[in-house]
Amino acid sequence: MSVLKIKDVSKIFPNGTTAVDSFSLDVADGELVCLLGPSGSGKSTLLRMVGGFETPTSGLMTIDGEDITRVPPEKRPTGMVFQSHALWTHMNVFKNLAFGLKLRKVPADEIKRRVEGVLELVGLGGYGTRSVTQLSGGQQQRVALARSLVLEPKILLLDEPFASLDQHLRERLREEVRDIQQRLKITTLFVTHGQDEALSMADRIVVMRDGKTEQIDRPDVVYREPQTPFVAGFIGTMNLIEGVVANGVFSKAGYSTPVPVSDGPVTLAIRPEAVDLTAASQNAHGKVHRVTDYGTHGLVDLELLDGTRMKAMVPHPDLFKPGQGVTLALRAVAAYRDGAVIYRTGVVTPVSHPALVDA
Amino acid sequence: MAATLVSRKTDWTGIIFAAVLTLVIVFPLVVVGTWAFTNVWRYPSVIPQEFGLRFWNQTLARADVWSSISTSLTLAFTVTALSAAICLPAAYAFARLDFPGRNLLFFSFLAGHAFPKFGLLVAIAGIFLQLNLIGTFWGVVLIQLVGTLLFMIWIPVAAFQAVDRRMEEAARDVGASPFRVFWSITLPQAGPTIAAAILLSFVGTFYETEGAWLIGAPQVRTLPVLMISFINNQPVIQYGAVLSVLLWVPSFIALLFARKVVNSGSFARGFGG
Amino acid sequence: MTIANTGPLAPVATHRRRPYGLLLVATPVLLVAWLVIWPIISAVIQTAFVTTADGGSAVSLETYSFFFSDGYSLSNLSMTLWTTGVCAALLLVVCLPIALYLRFSDSKVAAYVQGLAIFPMFVPSIILSFAFIRVLGPNGTVDLLLNSVGLPHIRSPYLTPWGPVIGLVWDNIPLTVLILLSGLGNVSNQSVEAARDVGAGKFALLWHIILPRISNSILVAISFAVLGIFSAFTLPYILGPAAPEMMGPFMQRTFRELLESKTAITQAVVTFGFCIVFGLFYVRSVAKNRAA
Repeated sequence: MSVLKIKDVSKIFPNGTTAVDSFSLDVADGELVCLLGPSGSGKSTLLRMVGGFETPTSGLMTIDGEDITRVPPEKRPTGMVFQSHALWTHMNVFKNLAFGLKLRKVPADEIKRRVEGVLELVGLGGYGTRSVTQLSGGQQQRVALARSLVLEPKILLLDEPFASLDQHLRERLREEVRDIQQRLKITTLFVTHGQDEALSMADRIVVMRDGKTEQIDRPDVVYREPQTPFVAGFIGTMNLIEGVVANGVFSKAGYSTPVPVSDGPVTLAIRPEAVDLTAASQNAHGKVHRVTDYGTHGLVDLELLDGTRMKAMVPHPDLFKPGQGVTLALRAVAAYRDGAVIYRTGVVTPVSHPALVDA
Repeated sequence: MAATLVSRKTDWTGIIFAAVLTLVIVFPLVVVGTWAFTNVWRYPSVIPQEFGLRFWNQTLARADVWSSISTSLTLAFTVTALSAAICLPAAYAFARLDFPGRNLLFFSFLAGHAFPKFGLLVAIAGIFLQLNLIGTFWGVVLIQLVGTLLFMIWIPVAAFQAVDRRMEEAARDVGASPFRVFWSITLPQAGPTIAAAILLSFVGTFYETEGAWLIGAPQVRTLPVLMISFINNQPVIQYGAVLSVLLWVPSFIALLFARKVVNSGSFARGFGG
Repeated sequence: MTIANTGPLAPVATHRRRPYGLLLVATPVLLVAWLVIWPIISAVIQTAFVTTADGGSAVSLETYSFFFSDGYSLSNLSMTLWTTGVCAALLLVVCLPIALYLRFSDSKVAAYVQGLAIFPMFVPSIILSFAFIRVLGPNGTVDLLLNSVGLPHIRSPYLTPWGPVIGLVWDNIPLTVLILLSGLGNVSNQSVEAARDVGAGKFALLWHIILPRISNSILVAISFAVLGIFSAFTLPYILGPAAPEMMGPFMQRTFRELLESKTAITQAVVTFGFCIVFGLFYVRSVAKNRAA
C-alpha cells in the first residue's frame, strides 16, 4: 500500500552526460507503471536511482512521504528484479530467498513458511533445494522475482526482467507477473524497451527519450493519441510523412488531404490501419511495392510518387499486386509541428495484432 | 577442436610424443621414487637388491630434517598469510574501487618480472646487508613475500572482476550492508579462484630455493636448502630420495587442485602467451 | 547498461572515487617500491659511484671495467650466454611440435601428452636436480642399463655445461608449451581449413599460416625463458661445472662466500643489462594481453 513520488530528479554522470533530466512521476498505490524508451533514454538509470544504486544529482524521491533520495539500497523498502537475474549461484533456491529474511533476523520457522509460500506463488513449490544453476531461464527469473517478493517490498522494481528469455516464455511470464502484481496489489515500476511488454502489462506508460518524459498515459491512449512524433513513431507501426500545409491542405508528392492548421511544415502520422487503399489504374497516388499476407490481414508497402514509403493494412491482400497503382484515403491522421501535436482527427479503433505491434 | 592435421585413425604422432615424454619426464621421477624405497641397490644391478623402508626411518630420525620441515612450513604459512592479508584487500581495491594511479600501480607489480630473478635477488640482498636481514627468518619472509605479490594480486583481481555486479546489488537490495555483501556474496563467488591463488603461493613459497639460499642459508634452513646440502655432501643416496618424496607432497596436492586453473587459457595469458 | 572496457582494468562506478582505495593497495605497492624498484635503482647507483678521498662521491665505472676485463667474469658471462641461447633454441625445437600437436589433435593421447608436458611445473627444480643425478650421473640408471646390455658408460653431462642445459629445458617445458598453445588458440580452424582448401601442404600451412600468427607468442615464450634461464641458480649450481659457472651461482658465490657485495651487485646489473630487451618486451606483452 505505497505511493512513490519522483520530483525533478536529474542524473548527470561524471563524464558530463545527462542520463535523466528533471524527471517527475507519481506512481499510485498498487499501480504498475512502465518506463518505456530506446536504450540510452535514461529509463534504467532512473530505476536504479529508485533502487538506490545511483544517487540523483538533484531532485527528490519519496515513498509514502518518506524521503529516500539519499538512503542506501539496503535501507530502502524497494525490491529489484535484475535483467540478468543476478541469482547467487553459490546458494540454492531456498537460501537465495531466505538471505534477506535472515538479515532481518526473522525466526527460522517463519523464514521457511514465507519462502515456501512465495515459491508456491511463483509456481516453483518444492524447488527450494535446487541449485539455481540447474534451473531454466524462466525458472531463474521466477526465483529472482520471488527473492524480491518474499521481503514484501513497498515498491517492486523490474529492470527488463524478460530480456534474456525467448519470445514464447516472455509472453507467458509477463502474464504471470501481471497476475501476481495485481493479486498482491504491489506498487511496481517496470523498465522495458519492448512496447508489446509495456502495452500488455502497464496501467500507465512513461515514454522516455534522452532522460526526459515524452508522454505519460494509459497504454491505449499512448497508442491512439501519441503526443509527440517520437511517441508516434516509437509505439506500434506509424507512417510519418513530412509535408507542407498551405491553406488548410496538406500536400505531398501529388497527394493532398485537408489538415485544418496554419500554414507551414507538418509531420503527418497515420497508422497503417487508418489507410484505405483502392486499386486504381489512373490518377494513382502511388504504387504497391510489396504485399505481406499475415493470414488475418495483409500489409501493403507502397511508394508515393516521390518514392516516400508507406504501410497500409488491408483486409484482402490478394487484391493487390506489386507494381499496381493505388489511391489512398486516410481515415484518421494526426499532425505534429515542433514536436507537439497540433491536430488530430477522430480516433480509429486499433486492430491490435502482434505483427503490427512488434514490427 | 576438429582433428585437422592429425588423422583420426591411429594417433602415431601422439603415441611417439607420449612415449618420449614419459621416458624423459616420468622415468627420472620413478627412479627417485624407487631409490626412496630401497634398502640396498649396489652397482651394477639393474634393479635394487633389497626394497624396504629402512631409510625412511633413518631420514625421519634426523633432527635436521625435522627442523627444516618445520622451518619450511612456518615460512610458507607466514608468507602466504601475510601475502593474503596485504594482497587480497589490494586486489579488491584494484577490482572495485577507483583511485588515482590505479592502472600504473596495478602494472607496477610486473616490475619484478622484467628482470632476471637471481640478479634482482642479489640487488635486494645488497639492501638487506645494510639492514642486517641476511641470515634471518624475516629476511627470507620478505624476499619470498615479494615473489608472491604478482600472483596474489593479479589472480584475485580477475576473480573479483568476474563477480557479477548485479549479484552484489541484489544483495544490497535485500538489505545487506556493503561489508555483508562482500562477506556473503563477493568472497564466496570469487572463493575458488582465490583459493587456487593462495595454494599456488603456498606451494611456490614452500619450494622457493634461490632466495632462501642467498638470504637465509645456513642459519635459516628450509627443506630445499637442506636438499641442496644433501645433494652436495651426503653420500647416502636414499636420504635425498626420501626427502625428495617428502618434498613432493605439497606439489602433489597442488597438482590435484590447481590443475584446472593451470590448464585454463587464462593462466597462460597471465604469462603473456 | 554496458560500459566499454577501455583500460586494462574495467572502469568502476566513479562515484566511489575516494582515496581509501589507495590505502588498501598501499602495503603491496610500497613493498614493490622498496624491494623491487629501489634495489634496482640502488644497485645502479651503488655501482656507478665511488666515494672519493674527501668524502664526496664521483661517477666511476671502475667495477664494470673490472668485470669486463676480468677473464673469469667474462668466461662466466659467455657461458651464461651460450647456455641461454642453446636452451632457448632447444625449447623451441621441443615445445613447438608438442604445442602444434596438442592444438590440432583431439585424441585421447593428446590429453595424456598435455598432462605430461605440464607436469614439470609441479616438480620443484631441486627434486629435478636430484633425479637428474640419479639418472644421468655417474653410475646412474642410464649407466646401469647400458652396462646390463654390455655397452660402455656414457660421458655424463653432470657437472658439464650440458647439465644445466638439460635441466633448464626440462624445467621450462610447461610454461613454454602453455604460452605457445595459448598463441595457437588464435589460429582458427577455419583459417587452417581454408589454407588446405586452396592446396597448402603441411609445411606451407605451418610456414605461411600458423607461424606468422603465433610469432608474438614465440617471442613471449623466448623472453620468458631467457629471463628465467639467464640468471638461473639452482640447476646450474647443482648440475653445472664449478668453473666457468653461470651468472647465478657466480653472483651467489661472490656475495655469500667472497663477501664482495659490490662486485656481486655489479654482476647483477650486468645481467639486467643483457636481459633488458627481453624484460621490457615480456612486460609489454603481458600488459597488452591484460589490457585486451
